[in-house]
Amino acid sequence: MTSYFIRRFLLIIPTFIGITLLCFTIMQIVPGGPLEQEIMKLRMGLAARGETAVGAGGTGTGAIEIPQEAMEEMKRFYGFDKPIHIRYFRWIYNLAQLDLGNSYVFAEPVWRVIFQRFPISVYFGLIGFILAYSVCVPLGVFKAIRHGSPFDFLSSFLVFLGYSVPGWAVGAILLVLLGGGSFLNVFPLGGFRSEYWENLSIIGRIWDQVWHTILPVLAYMVGSFATLTVLTKNSLMENLGQDYVRTAFAKGLSEKRVIFVHALRNSLIPIATGLGHLLSLIMAGSYLIEYTFNINGMGLLGFTSIVKRDYPVVLGLLVINSLLLLTGNIISDIFYALIDPRIRFK
Amino acid sequence: MSNEVSVSIFRKRLRKFKSLKRGYYSFLFLVTLYLISFLCPLLMNNKALIVRYNGTTYFPVFKYYPGKEFGQEIYGEANYRQLKDAFKQEGGNNWVLMPPYPYSPYEHLLDLPGQPPHTPSAAHWFGTDTSGRDVFVRLAYGFTISISFALVVLLVDYAIGIIVGSMLGYFGGKFDIIVQRFVEIWMAMPFLYTIMIVSSIIKPNFFLLVFVLGLFGWMGMTFYIRGEFYREKAKDYVSAAISIGSNDRTVIFKHILPNALTPVISFGPFAVVGYIGALVSLDYLGFGLPPPTPSWGQMVQQGMQNIFDWWLVFFPLGALFVTLLLVVFIGEAVREAFDPKVFSRLR
Repeated sequence: MTSYFIRRFLLIIPTFIGITLLCFTIMQIVPGGPLEQEIMKLRMGLAARGETAVGAGGTGTGAIEIPQEAMEEMKRFYGFDKPIHIRYFRWIYNLAQLDLGNSYVFAEPVWRVIFQRFPISVYFGLIGFILAYSVCVPLGVFKAIRHGSPFDFLSSFLVFLGYSVPGWAVGAILLVLLGGGSFLNVFPLGGFRSEYWENLSIIGRIWDQVWHTILPVLAYMVGSFATLTVLTKNSLMENLGQDYVRTAFAKGLSEKRVIFVHALRNSLIPIATGLGHLLSLIMAGSYLIEYTFNINGMGLLGFTSIVKRDYPVVLGLLVINSLLLLTGNIISDIFYALIDPRIRFK
Repeated sequence: MSNEVSVSIFRKRLRKFKSLKRGYYSFLFLVTLYLISFLCPLLMNNKALIVRYNGTTYFPVFKYYPGKEFGQEIYGEANYRQLKDAFKQEGGNNWVLMPPYPYSPYEHLLDLPGQPPHTPSAAHWFGTDTSGRDVFVRLAYGFTISISFALVVLLVDYAIGIIVGSMLGYFGGKFDIIVQRFVEIWMAMPFLYTIMIVSSIIKPNFFLLVFVLGLFGWMGMTFYIRGEFYREKAKDYVSAAISIGSNDRTVIFKHILPNALTPVISFGPFAVVGYIGALVSLDYLGFGLPPPTPSWGQMVQQGMQNIFDWWLVFFPLGALFVTLLLVVFIGEAVREAFDPKVFSRLR
């Protein structure tokens, strides 16, 4: 087993290189990089001052040539003069030190911009995650035990809903219904805290925070609701049909003991392996839900930075998300191998 | 011995599928709706079907006629609803036959009382959006687009999945490990985010979007098929085929593939749910199909910006819910018929 893990970790390296190469390539072909932005600024500046630089003749409309020396200088400044593999290694070197460049929009290091949104995304992700698991797993167990009952059918409707409608769509409908649209006005339209949050008492602050959290977290949960509940239920039912459960009943154990002590532990295996993605779930944020509820998290940052063409932030987020997903996959694999004693990879 | 004609496994599964009422009827309903939706230009359009004017018959739904042709004092295309009223008032032999729901998804209806968006009414069943376009018609046209999109992406992913997956599963070994690294890299790219980046660079049209979505979504299918191929390859009939001298291509396509495909068929409807969801999500964020294409996501986006106009959010999402629900029912039935593992239902 250890050899499997060692091999797995070693295999991270080529995948990591591949991911960063891909992101780097996207960075190169993306228009509007720093060099081009400077060129644009220069051109507009020259045009505004009515100067025609060396090489342009005649009326001055159309392409204004920038002197060759200036171009070289700028290239050297931004590091574009080096061949592409040197640029790549330099970028990786910066990456290792968490230097992702500076954001165009915020004029701050990208890392700081992302880090500021961190707590908010983690807050929603963690709460959503904990709630999802603590609701869905017991629900799944209940459905398995009461398979075919009216409760089962009713909750199946919710499961179908969660499966067919994307989470943000449920959030949108909830907002329209309860968020001050044409119907009830129970919840705020979005955001993380009210503007006057500072002025509230402690209780007021807590209540306000909770008030803002309810709808987005519900939207988060809907997504995993269907899959998690059904997974738990099916896994438990499959286990309940196994021989060892029969033996346990034959031995005379009470139903409760058989289900909760013996069968449940085995049925939790597929669910536990999903925990590996906890990391990426929590940190990546969901831009769709944050967009719907106007929450200033990492997801919304990703979305707005694409719209504003703030490419350092975009690519920084891309790299972070990719690496998180990769780590999540690996941790899932490890969990799976650790928990399920039947898995013994060669 | 019974006198039953031997029935192929596929036929048996089809029969089972037909016996599952919920899935089968959903399937029939959805297919009928989809086929009818292709007739949308004939059913919902602001162009008349037939116009009879001064003895000649025109078919404006197929050809463009300027207003001057029919004696209207307007520039550009004739306004057939006005024409119909005008002819009626005149009396005489001129008449206009309009489609049952005489509005177009691209038309801005600015002549209604009040300001857009308008609430649902008898004339406009689902109201209008912020530019004055009828919501019901846009929903209907969007339906065709969404489902066609999902089907095309499904085809693309199936094609890639079969080609790559079959090779991975059949040849295995080093080839498998190397390509798996690539797949892992590809899988680590956040799906929607990368698509958003690509689509912000090149403004996509329908087919480009299909291409991009197919590019990032083929992994699931491929993994599935690869797993099936691994399983089948160990079976006896494969060794038998090889031993009588079939080449690789025959073994893959003629022998293994039909068996490997059956569990993959059950994966299809759920993949469709994913694709429709992805398209709506992209449109909702503004990175999908370009305006003024009628798309559900774009309508929801408008709805969220005008939260007091609930019909802009409810009807598109309602349509989305119903469509996806039907597809899930179909998927459940397909899975039950083709790949029945005892406790694998979505209930």
